[in-house]
Amino acid sequence: MNKHTDAWQILHVPDKPPIPPGQQPTVNVLASVIEPKIANTLVRRLNQIAPLENLRHVKRVQKKYHEGGKTQLAVILCLACENDNQLDSMQHDVREIVNAYQLSAFITKVSKSAASSKEEWEEQCKLWPTSYHPPTYNIDGITGFSEEDSQSVFSFMRFAVELAKSDDGLVVNAAVIVDPSVKQVIASARDEICSWNTCNNKSSIQTSSFQRLEVCNTCSISNVRTDDTLLSKASTSELGRFTGVSCLYPWRWSEQQLSPPNSCYWHPLRHAALVAIESSAARDRLLFPGSREIEDKSFDMEHIQSPSTGSPAKRKKLDMKNVEDHAKLDTLVGGNSVSARPYLCTGYDIYLVWEPCTMCAMALVHQRIRRIFYAFTNPNAGALGSVHRLQGEKSLNHHYAVFRVLLPEEVMGNKNGLYLKAKNSITQFEIRSFIQTIKTRPLYIIPLRLGRNA
Amino acid sequence: MESPGADFSPDTLAFMELALEQAKLAFDSLEVPVGCVIVEDGKVIASGRNRTTETRNASRHAEMEAVDVLLEDWQKNGLSKLEVAKKLSKCHLYVTCEPCIMCAAALSILGVKEVYYGCTNDKFGGCGSILSLHLGCSELLKSGGIPQGKGFKCIRGIMASEAVSLLRTFYEQGNPNAPKPHRPLTHQATH
Repeated sequence: MNKHTDAWQILHVPDKPPIPPGQQPTVNVLASVIEPKIANTLVRRLNQIAPLENLRHVKRVQKKYHEGGKTQLAVILCLACENDNQLDSMQHDVREIVNAYQLSAFITKVSKSAASSKEEWEEQCKLWPTSYHPPTYNIDGITGFSEEDSQSVFSFMRFAVELAKSDDGLVVNAAVIVDPSVKQVIASARDEICSWNTCNNKSSIQTSSFQRLEVCNTCSISNVRTDDTLLSKASTSELGRFTGVSCLYPWRWSEQQLSPPNSCYWHPLRHAALVAIESSAARDRLLFPGSREIEDKSFDMEHIQSPSTGSPAKRKKLDMKNVEDHAKLDTLVGGNSVSARPYLCTGYDIYLVWEPCTMCAMALVHQRIRRIFYAFTNPNAGALGSVHRLQGEKSLNHHYAVFRVLLPEEVMGNKNGLYLKAKNSITQFEIRSFIQTIKTRPLYIIPLRLGRNA
Repeated sequence: MESPGADFSPDTLAFMELALEQAKLAFDSLEVPVGCVIVEDGKVIASGRNRTTETRNASRHAEMEAVDVLLEDWQKNGLSKLEVAKKLSKCHLYVTCEPCIMCAAALSILGVKEVYYGCTNDKFGGCGSILSLHLGCSELLKSGGIPQGKGFKCIRGIMASEAVSLLRTFYEQGNPNAPKPHRPLTHQATH
């Protein structure tokens, strides 16, 4: 971790811990240089008599380029005995081939197991070429992101970072759940372990994610002058400055100060990811009130019609409610039936500023999140590579892909004005225009799109 | 699997019986049947059951439900954070199925004293099956000065067969909330 970079970068966090270069296990094989013209015949014959059963990732033939444009082919004859460096351990029919073609066999090393990352694969190929198959559970991004997708990832991560900052200078973790197919924010939340405001009960649940946008908008403007060092040290060892980040210090809740005192409940488990899951579930219940089997179409029609027929006062009251309805309208307009109700967070991504703790990471398994993006590692309690690695726990019934997003210094807040520019472009322009849209056009809400220009 | 009452005190069995009642309530509401009770000084002070289907929030496991009730009650009674932490450190949790990784991590964060569970959870268990979060993380304690994961005592196998048969009956009916390709499920605890 911990490198400052000049540009945004997305790194896949693999299911297995990376093996340090040069420490990958190897096995010995017998190989020989061969004439290119006999390569086909030889490989076919060798695959029959000495198949590389447990080395399917290893290529049978190695092609070397020499100076002057010459190429040299070498082929694996068979496995060599581990404790025996002699060539006479060769099986009978392989020896016949060696004799027939007058090959001179030598012992060489190949990687024992298939590479689990591109880096490992590159390392393996220095010994002998292998093939590399990235995880095939069909999640976009593992094999790389398009320019457009990268920009979208960066925009949402920037949004999460903004959300993590607050007026009082305390940094917390923030979570943003996104439907990547329409680049729409489904829910967003901050840590609420010190101030869980239950006073406004249900209506606040319905609108909370959208109020957050406004909160974020205002606080980012007021913080421009004071927060430029807040996150700049986040990726250094100075983690002690982030005691408000609940996933970093999950066991410290009883020591933390209440803010503000008396007005709110507190809850040691209301980490940002859990609050965001709660908010997305509330949205789901609101948008798709019927059960999966019995779709309540009448409810949908009522909500689409009421604002246009109702009085202005009534319309105003319904505005925030309609914010939540836009996804439903989208689905209807898009020609899909309402029965396209999501199953939990299937297909959704979550952006977290800090790698989630074990509790949050497992909650995201339960909620069927498709991809997790986080900016900073969590050496204390991180469950996506730091302390545990839930994405690699085979027994779980769901697996998400995990990515780390490296932030350039200007996003975390440093001296230059780029930071301010970036912030303006997303929070002030896009969010303000989004809120404006909600206020003026309750019926045809355009989902918040954090586009590539952000 | 142990026969009922094999090695456990009448109190332990009685508390697990109450947890099973919660699990049955969940079953009747078409929820994955897992239930729990929280006990302080020999008295049940909270109970909870799975509500993942109703809430569409897959993190609403029995343990999380019970903890929410408790925290709200204590705060209404004006208890401070430190008082709550102290009370939690004396609490015992009885749950019909091994806490999943999420709940085990939550119980460690809260700092409960002991956890009694029925059947093991081979897919998601966080108290010995997949991870062993009840052991805490002593290695990290040594390496840094930061307070790290707290462990808790775990006792398993209390009325496990009752807990399993409830889960089995539920999954044999098919989980009505599961996405279509996954249905019907058998022997798969989603807890």
